[in-house]
Amino acid sequence: MSELFVVGLSWRTAKVAVREKLAFREDEITDTLNALIRELPVSEALLISTCNRVEVYGVAKRDADVPASVRTWLAQRKSAKLAELNDALYERRGPAAIRHVFAVASSLDSLVVGEAQILGQLKDAYALSGTAGTSGPVLSRAVERAFGVAKRVRTETTIARGAANVSSVAVELAGRVFGDLAGKSVLVVGAGKMSSLAARHLYTNGAQRIIVTNRSPEKAERLADEIEGTAAPWADLEKLLAGADVVISSTGAREPVLTRAMFKRVAKARKYKPMMIIDIAVPRDAEPQIQDIDGVYLFDIDDLDKVVAANLAERAKAAEHAGRIVEHEAGQFEHWLRTQGVVPTIRALRDKFAQIADAEVHKALDQLARKELTRDQYREQLQRVVQLVINKLLHQPTTVLRSSEKEQGELRAGVLADLFALEISDHPAEELAEHPAGDDTTERKAQA
Amino acid sequence: MTGPVSVAASPAFWVAVVAYCTASVLLLAVLAGKASARPAAVAFVVIAMIAHGTDIGWRGVEGVHPAGSVREALGFLAFIITGGYLLASTRYRLTLGGVVVMPVSLVLLLLARLTPVGGQREDLSALGRIHISLATLGVGIFALASALSAIYLVEDRALKRKKFDTAAFKDRGAPLEALDRLAHRLVWVGFPIFTVALVLGAIWTARLGEDLARIEYLLAAVTWLVFATLLVARQIYGWRGRRAANLTLEGFAAALAVLVIYLVRRIVG
Repeated sequence: MSELFVVGLSWRTAKVAVREKLAFREDEITDTLNALIRELPVSEALLISTCNRVEVYGVAKRDADVPASVRTWLAQRKSAKLAELNDALYERRGPAAIRHVFAVASSLDSLVVGEAQILGQLKDAYALSGTAGTSGPVLSRAVERAFGVAKRVRTETTIARGAANVSSVAVELAGRVFGDLAGKSVLVVGAGKMSSLAARHLYTNGAQRIIVTNRSPEKAERLADEIEGTAAPWADLEKLLAGADVVISSTGAREPVLTRAMFKRVAKARKYKPMMIIDIAVPRDAEPQIQDIDGVYLFDIDDLDKVVAANLAERAKAAEHAGRIVEHEAGQFEHWLRTQGVVPTIRALRDKFAQIADAEVHKALDQLARKELTRDQYREQLQRVVQLVINKLLHQPTTVLRSSEKEQGELRAGVLADLFALEISDHPAEELAEHPAGDDTTERKAQA
Repeated sequence: MTGPVSVAASPAFWVAVVAYCTASVLLLAVLAGKASARPAAVAFVVIAMIAHGTDIGWRGVEGVHPAGSVREALGFLAFIITGGYLLASTRYRLTLGGVVVMPVSLVLLLLARLTPVGGQREDLSALGRIHISLATLGVGIFALASALSAIYLVEDRALKRKKFDTAAFKDRGAPLEALDRLAHRLVWVGFPIFTVALVLGAIWTARLGEDLARIEYLLAAVTWLVFATLLVARQIYGWRGRRAANLTLEGFAAALAVLVIYLVRRIVG
């Protein structure tokens, strides 16, 4: 029976020095998948390669140790020594592979639990396997179900809630104060890299404009160009503060450049409209006493780290619930997968039975159309048709059963008894004589 | 005018009591991190409001006017508070507000229905009814503004003190700016209503020849003064945020004191 498997490595098992040895560029993936299908007993395949993981998902054609062959094949493909990769590579088969893909899609296996990027990356990988023509019914079903599980996890748990990096925390805190950032203005004080990242993040989340001010006007201009903002002179700092809703400060000054006295005037000029200061400079740019002013919210780098830690703790809690969802969904998928092996047989059986029944019903209808029958004759005719159908259905199995060797016959009889929930009589010969099912003479008589 | 009216509590009243209790517990659970309880909590708030409204209607059919007495007005006030909360909840996540509002509405409803009827004034004219109706509506709106102000103060404190692991912070409720703005708008709406109620109350009292220097009248004037100060100071000096929230709570506390004094006076006759 074909089996789903995964072979790969991730941030959990391999350092970047190892991960990069096995990384695939996007333009390599289609060829790699085709080669994999061609060279190994694999019927379906998908390859995902991100900065944190490289994994091959596949369906093995037979019971051979395909995952082991995939390990060797991957090492050869990337001209790497298998010995160097072996410790980092992991493999999962069957139910464990299903659980793994569901967990990966739900970002339970990500470096930052709950991040949304992995789902997009998995979707891209799935699209590439579609382009390569290597995604078949089992893999498609598994991956599409994994997308569904990921959606369920995000909806039913708080796993994606709360920012997990400093820039996102700035946006989250601004949301707590202002709600919608639309129409808000951001002032970047200093030209540090971190402040530009945070400002850009606020801008992409709806902030209306960014103004950059720095002691060195050239640096301010350069940063303003980078983040689509406007540069303003350092001398206007207080005036600029009065017009800003969010201030991100990251100068290299040894003494605070944002003082309490300054902010008392600024708050008054703003008629105490709320404003938020994010001070990511070390040493700090803002005097801590600014925090006491009504409507002014000051956060330094330690505060932002605290929010990140609190959010990650919250996500870890949610991950337990998410794990239970993954487990449940994986169980359901396994059940579906198990039933797939018998589906063709069930379908063929139903088709054959329907064919026999249809043929007999048509024959009977033709005969009935030619005669005028009483109600009793009609009932008798109907019983004959049913008997005929039964006989035809049982003819083949009865013949096979009778012609079987003793041991095989008993085995087949057992299966039949099990499938049809039969109560086996102690006197089979007598029973058969009374109900000669499968005996063609009845059929011939009925047709005559 | 009719004399004291005593009507047995309707089944809807008991449904409302149970729904208020359940909603309070569920909202507390939501605040404690059980997010899945939120739809049930909202459903119970809706049930409480419907049952509460049915109870008021049922009493009306029995001849009890919702503003026929301070005791009845308390039940009506609770209804306005719940309705306002539900309306505001459609726009903002107000779990913390619900944890405050639901028990307050429940207590007001219980006071309105289960306290002794006491001596009721028999001279309740149309003017008196209008005064009580408007005063109830005004105080109801102030109550909502106060609930929002209370949430503002809790959230502001959490942010200022960097308490990022508190239930209030984790609940990700309405943003501070929105809470402040909404509370201000409510005061803007409630203030003229309360002013008219106050003027009508003064005329009514004067007609009855009662002494205007009673403590409840004085407190009503204080309530008016506090909210008037709040509106003027915001307009001129830009008072908002913590200062405005504190003033709103102080104004509402004075209004609540008026109601309590009225109620006690009626009960003890």
